[in-house]
Amino acid sequence: MEILTNGVGLSAVVFFPLVSALVITLIPKGQEFLIKGFALVSSIITFVFSVLLLLNFDFSSADQLQLGNKISWIKSINANYEIGIDGISLPLLILSTFITVLAIIYSIEHLPEPKSPKGFLALILVLETGMNGTFVALDLILFFVFFEIVLLPMYFMIGIWGDRTVRTVAGLKNQIETRLYASIKFFVFTLFGSAFMLLGFLGLYYRGNKTFSIPELIELGTTGAFTGTFATLVFAVLFLGFAVKVPMWPLHTWLPDAHTAAPTVGSVLLAAILLKLGSYGFVRIAIPILPEQAKAWAPAIAILSAIGIIYGSLACLAQTDLKRLIAFSSVGHMGFVMLGIASLTPIGINAAMIGMVAHGVITGLLFFLSGSMAHTYHTRDMGRLGGNMKLLPKTGALLGFTAMASLGLPGLAGFWGEFMALLGAYNPLEGLNVTVFRTSMVAGAVGTVLTAGYLLWMLQRVNLGEPSEEWIDKELHDADGYELAAWIPLVILTILIGVFPKLIFGATNDAVIAMLSKAFGG
Amino acid sequence: MILDLILPRRSKYYVAAFALLGTLFSLAPLVVQWVNYTNPIYAFEDSFVVDKFSIIFKGLFILITYLTFLLSINFIESDKYYQGEYYYLLLSSLLGALIVSSSRDLLTIFIGIELASTPMFLLSGWKKGDRKSNEGAIKFFLLGVLSASLILYGFSLLYGLTGKIVFSEISSLIINGALQSSPVLLLSSILVISGLGFKISIVPFHSWAPDTYEGAPLPVTAYLSVSSKATGFVALIILLTTVFSSAGESWGIILAIISGLTMTLGNLVALQQSNPVRLLAYSSIAQAGFILAPLAVAGITGNFQDGIFASVTYLIIYAFMNLGAFLSVQLFSNHAGSSNFYEWGGIAKKSPITGVLTTIFFFSLAGIPPLGGWFAKFVVFRSMLSTGEPIGLTLGIVGAVNAVIALVYYARISKVIWMDELKDVNSETSFQFESPLKVVGVFTVLITFISGIFPGIFSYLGEVSSIFFGN
Repeated sequence: MEILTNGVGLSAVVFFPLVSALVITLIPKGQEFLIKGFALVSSIITFVFSVLLLLNFDFSSADQLQLGNKISWIKSINANYEIGIDGISLPLLILSTFITVLAIIYSIEHLPEPKSPKGFLALILVLETGMNGTFVALDLILFFVFFEIVLLPMYFMIGIWGDRTVRTVAGLKNQIETRLYASIKFFVFTLFGSAFMLLGFLGLYYRGNKTFSIPELIELGTTGAFTGTFATLVFAVLFLGFAVKVPMWPLHTWLPDAHTAAPTVGSVLLAAILLKLGSYGFVRIAIPILPEQAKAWAPAIAILSAIGIIYGSLACLAQTDLKRLIAFSSVGHMGFVMLGIASLTPIGINAAMIGMVAHGVITGLLFFLSGSMAHTYHTRDMGRLGGNMKLLPKTGALLGFTAMASLGLPGLAGFWGEFMALLGAYNPLEGLNVTVFRTSMVAGAVGTVLTAGYLLWMLQRVNLGEPSEEWIDKELHDADGYELAAWIPLVILTILIGVFPKLIFGATNDAVIAMLSKAFGG
Repeated sequence: MILDLILPRRSKYYVAAFALLGTLFSLAPLVVQWVNYTNPIYAFEDSFVVDKFSIIFKGLFILITYLTFLLSINFIESDKYYQGEYYYLLLSSLLGALIVSSSRDLLTIFIGIELASTPMFLLSGWKKGDRKSNEGAIKFFLLGVLSASLILYGFSLLYGLTGKIVFSEISSLIINGALQSSPVLLLSSILVISGLGFKISIVPFHSWAPDTYEGAPLPVTAYLSVSSKATGFVALIILLTTVFSSAGESWGIILAIISGLTMTLGNLVALQQSNPVRLLAYSSIAQAGFILAPLAVAGITGNFQDGIFASVTYLIIYAFMNLGAFLSVQLFSNHAGSSNFYEWGGIAKKSPITGVLTTIFFFSLAGIPPLGGWFAKFVVFRSMLSTGEPIGLTLGIVGAVNAVIALVYYARISKVIWMDELKDVNSETSFQFESPLKVVGVFTVLITFISGIFPGIFSYLGEVSSIFFGN
């Protein structure tokens, strides 16, 4: 169909959720059923759109940007509405539309306090517009706008529906509710990165014949238009913008707070999609446009990633809070993604791509489970939990499965990203410092062991053993239909990707190779 | 046609309705002028001009005044103040602003500036019984007179140097007579910048603003922070890019330093505020720093088109989102009866629409896409980095850090109204949202969104205005 290939379909995937969010705000507050139904239907329609795009996507030329369009947007600064997808963005786009559907299914029966489904669901849909838009944007300004659009909904999601526990924060006189502290911290950190990123975009614009178009800038970049101090500075600010979002050590400190404070669905979307915006930025923008700089920075990125892996795992071992543990595990997993990217080899970046999708699916599911358990037990303290298998057999079984997937059990989705990232780091792009990368690889390998360690330890504390007396006489509700409907697809996906990694590589491989050969030759 | 613009002032009916209609109708000749526009029309021996730059700003001033009237209707009625005089004074100020945007000689521009600001001295002291209002008005008046004398002194130096009052003649004399590096010219430019610095409240001439803003009736404050500021900037743009254009390198550096200080100081002090009006006062000081920055860079590089493009685009977008911000402050402080916004806890639940509006305006001021403010900030950053000069780069970094600082206090208001617990005091009375205010809300929110999603429309206005000052 024509509308699917000329950019209209792609735009629909981006803007349909936004339009739906506006419609939702017009529905009267009392009509909860209508609001929920409408949100669910519109998220499903968006997902169907993205699947239709998938069917129209020409996999034989996955290295080409497809299904897009380019129309004039802001003439006076030569910014265009330029969109398109290739093998790198396609899996992430599908992941984003898919996870949103699950998030809304889960929210139908499990709205965090204070309920008000209208605002909550509208925010999820606005968030989806930002996420989808970032993955399809091919113009730096358009990319920036979508990159920032996600901030507001997430800020309000954490701030309004977040965790109300009062806590002390170092440096603040008064105690403060977790949600309030975490929401503004998230916002300020990300904005700090992206404000500088914007300066970097402008630098590219002025050196690059006044264009914001990413494909054109890639052409310019590979022909050596950006060099010297200028390029170093630009890469530095782009790095800042993306690394905060990933987040890479030592810019990660907003993440544990935001994840712990966010409502369940917020954590899921944050982990599954929002973190990917950063690593996607590296693959789509920073590396292809500034290949020489990427090469110069790669060892540093590898070292930071290795530190992130080790640090994340060690921090996990010190946690008593279930959600915070999963949050720190994200730091570790995204460390593997960044290690793969830093190797600048096809195998490493493919590892990063599958790692991103796998992390989205697995950690998304972990946050679903931990959120649901926190709701049931009214605590996330692992010291008080225990015997979960006996109390909530369904949730417990899923938690066990997901933890196995998360620690990289072969045959499940998490395995490929970790294994191949290490493989990539063993043999990085020619000209990179092999010692640094092999050291990082060893550190990463130690990290996998630690990861297994904390996840098993978590399982032992939460799932196994006898339930403490606290819970025995309580009526505890195991997973209900809505929860299972949101979780089972993720379980299936975890197994599918684990068994047929080609699902992802089939799309990404050609695009990754094309991108790298353009950037580094050969 | 130009006489039509002056019409509202002559109307002595002293009624709100007439003032509203008058301002609205005075837009008509502007539209006609815009459509039939061919070349700049000069009048009164080149001292008065109608070009697209002036048409755009006239349109802006008239719209702002119109919205200010709408903000005022209930406010003024409820307090039984002198309605007739109120509208009369605002219209006089509007006339001054209109004159400034068309003036092309020293006398006309001075008369315009003073006509625009003198009525504001009175209006800012409108709440007679209120000590804060009196204090603010006195400060404003004393500093206003000082600034007028500084401007006048600067002009007189210029006249002494060249013997001319029309801008085009002055600048050609300066260039032909090789007076570019004359210390008198530099001194004169510094005096004029200082004088206008009071009007646009940049550091170190900003100290009156928070007190005056706090004391004045809210609609007047809104007008002060938008229209008066814009008038000052228009005058500054005209003067810097015509008569002082050749001394650009000197004043450019001064402005760059001032601009960086203004942003930083405004933002840091705004962080400490608990009164929403004072917060907006400091925020508008910080915003002035952003508007000033492109002019500073333009002075250094000599690329005036780019600088004016950025400043004008910023000014236009800023005007509407700031009016909107004042609207929401007016609504909430009326309801809560408190001028400490920390006591507005959960108030958005009483009127979600107002809550959403407030959120939109404040985040737009913070520059978060897709709201208009992002594009304003963006064009400013763009002009800062246009040449890669170290000073522009430094300003860019200062600006980026400031954008983050500003977010903290802009977000704080949203945090209080949405995330804090609803206070009992706020929960009893029903929420008042009068229909004139609704018009303002709808209008400003539309502009805020349109300028964020389709910035092309607004950057077109900026682009058009910049053409008339391209060296």
